Amino acid sequence: MMDNVGGSSSNIAENSGIIREQDRLLPIANVGKIMKQILPPNAKISKESKETMQECVSEFISFVTSEASEKCRKERRKTVNGDDICWALGSLGFDDYAEPLRRYLQRYREQELDRANNPPKRG
Amino acid sequence: MVDNVGGSSSNAENSGIREQDRLLPIANVGRIMKQILPPNAKISKESKETMQECVSEFISFVTSEASEKCRKERRKTVNGDDICWALGSLGFDDYAEPLRRYLQRYRELEVDRGNSPPKRE
Repeated sequence: MMDNVGGSSSNIAENSGIIREQDRLLPIANVGKIMKQILPPNAKISKESKETMQECVSEFISFVTSEASEKCRKERRKTVNGDDICWALGSLGFDDYAEPLRRYLQRYREQELDRANNPPKRG
Repeated sequence: MVDNVGGSSSNAENSGIREQDRLLPIANVGRIMKQILPPNAKISKESKETMQECVSEFISFVTSEASEKCRKERRKTVNGDDICWALGSLGFDDYAEPLRRYLQRYRELEVDRGNSPPKRE
């Protein structure tokens, strides 16, 4: 994980040279919104708490994706698919995540099949 | 984890939370995934959606743990230390330590900025 502070956009842009802050992290408003949903109604979330979660969760995506990418490389496949993500979660010890997501993927594919057979009219 | 498929807005009606509020934006998730992959790699749509679900649940999981700590200590505001503590408590030690260093530098920067607020573009 890059040990730099996300708060300064000039710092990020100049020092990293490649990745702007808004590309490196998930949007803080969306992160805060998801955090808020799990908290009691009177709870407050500090700005530093949201930024800490931003860093954490963006790194988590990179970590899991990197593991999935290595599997694809060994199997000489170019496309990372949902199964690779589930496998990577299991491989990295996130078994509690891997299993529900496998069920999610199964239902996702069933739904895609339904949609292919019965294209809905979109409003 | 809510075991519904994110792709259908009618499912969002069932869950009571709109999809765009329940999940992080798929474009941003895909972008972060892309940065770690080799240049010629491709990412399937289902892969991005799987990661969307996973990472949104992760935020809820960690926040819930932090919230419980705040409740026991009768504090209303969840702060950065609570998030770091929750990560450690849940076994994500490899995340907790770098984020503690991040928080330290974050606070140092806030102090500096308090003295001379920079102009933001």
